[in-house]
Amino acid sequence: MSQTAAAREIPEEVERFNIIFRIQHIIMFTTFLVLCFTGWGLKYAYAPAGVSSKLIRFWGGPESAGLIHRIAGVTMLLDFVWHVLYLGYLFARKRMTIRMKTTVIPLPKDVLDVVKNFMYFLGLSREKPKFAKYSYAQKFDYWAVFWGMFIIGLSGFSLAFPMVVSYVIPQSASHWIWRVISTMHSDEALLAIVFILFWHFYNEHLKPETFPMSWLWITGKISTEKLKHHHPLEYEILFPEAAKKDEKE
Amino acid sequence: MRYKRVVFFTAPLLFLLFCVAQSASPQEPAKCLVCHSAMKGRLQSPAGPLVNLHVNPEKFHSSVHGSLSCTSCHLKFTDNPHVSPGAEVPADVGKIASEISAKYPVDAVAAAACSQCHPDIYQKVLQSVHGQNIVAKHRTDGAFCLDCHGSPHYIVPVKDPASPVSRENMVETCGSCHGNKAMMGKYGINEDVMGSFEESFHGRKLALGDTRAPVCSSCHGAHNVQPVTNPASPVFGKNKLKTCGQCHKGANEKFIPAFTHKVPGPIPHYVEKALIILLLSVFTFIVAHVLLEAFSDIRDAIFRRGREK
Repeated sequence: MSQTAAAREIPEEVERFNIIFRIQHIIMFTTFLVLCFTGWGLKYAYAPAGVSSKLIRFWGGPESAGLIHRIAGVTMLLDFVWHVLYLGYLFARKRMTIRMKTTVIPLPKDVLDVVKNFMYFLGLSREKPKFAKYSYAQKFDYWAVFWGMFIIGLSGFSLAFPMVVSYVIPQSASHWIWRVISTMHSDEALLAIVFILFWHFYNEHLKPETFPMSWLWITGKISTEKLKHHHPLEYEILFPEAAKKDEKE
Repeated sequence: MRYKRVVFFTAPLLFLLFCVAQSASPQEPAKCLVCHSAMKGRLQSPAGPLVNLHVNPEKFHSSVHGSLSCTSCHLKFTDNPHVSPGAEVPADVGKIASEISAKYPVDAVAAAACSQCHPDIYQKVLQSVHGQNIVAKHRTDGAFCLDCHGSPHYIVPVKDPASPVSRENMVETCGSCHGNKAMMGKYGINEDVMGSFEESFHGRKLALGDTRAPVCSSCHGAHNVQPVTNPASPVFGKNKLKTCGQCHKGANEKFIPAFTHKVPGPIPHYVEKALIILLLSVFTFIVAHVLLEAFSDIRDAIFRRGREK
């Protein structure tokens, strides 16, 4: 056993998200929560016992709830734009490259991983899929935000600034597009809430091994032990020698 | 002792005399209310319909009309009301009364009397689609003063949340006819104006107490309401530019279809269906995934302890 030698060359933690990504995530989830709690009352305005009016009154009434919703929405969109520009900057500076084992872009392997994982869950296979830097669950989480930004963000922008948007929509579509936009905004917002409540909350908070939460959102770091366990393919890239040694053992 | 008996006997007589002497002047509400505040139930009127003759004195006096005398409106009853209800009625009121008699078979004069104090508004109502249905087509449908404002004895200011035409109650008040599918079907009027309003942002915000959310009259006008096919209607064609522009600065032709009571074609319907399918499939996937994963974690913790890692 070369435990001491390995410990010297392998750090205890590996940084996964730098401070900028962490700030982007914090802005994203705070605005998300504000948007949910200000928008829910309008979506279910006729909830029994006036529950929605009470929720809206918490924000100071419909007018101020609407204003807060718009401010939070614009902040979230700007956060998203910042994220995309920052990614572009990282690529331009060659500080980020697209590699099969580190990319967040969905790959055919992810579909296979889903199938393998379900087989494992059901006891049909004894082997868990080996994930790269981002598992399919994390990719799903990440791209869901993109989907949300395009569907909910664009429709929300159109609803908040209808006069601006009315100049770009074709006359022939004007009699139905507003209904489509409001349906998109409201239905996809519900999808986003359901998604966060079940998927993100389970995976990053409620799972026995992560409860009460994964601290990555603050520290940005993952322990090497966890990395090896959950992202073996990334571990192989980061510490090829240690990985080879492990294999021999 | 004899004079005392005389007093007992004559005092009521004197009182009665006093009452009769007064009956030549306009009826004071207090006198009418002595009986009408106590009357309960409904009476068969000579014209046919059952009428409610009860008047709540407190509500009447606190209403905007509380200072009027009964005969200010019940013009037929200037003389002793229960003997000869056929007093002289001003010609203009009489003319209106005969026009609206189909709607008010019991006392059309009283219903026409509103025009004495509210002449401009009354003319607007007569010209509106509601009024024309009554005076030109002699139908009983079509909202008139009391249908929207409630009993004339208890009218409160529009700002009062108890008013049937207040922001809080107007939609329901209009809905008492416009939510009646049979009645709307009879006139070929959109049968889903109530539902479409409730679903809209306008309706939702109104329900949540938004003080800027529009009510029916904000767009359609009130006393002079006209059908959407009438160029005088504020929601006729391009009039909407101005009407929507009251709240939505710079409302243009592509913006104004954003609110409509009509079904906006099949596309929104299918988009909604597609989104529901997406929601359900994502939901099914994530719930199945989470539950199965939790199940496998428990299974591993119990039956395969230590075999991992």
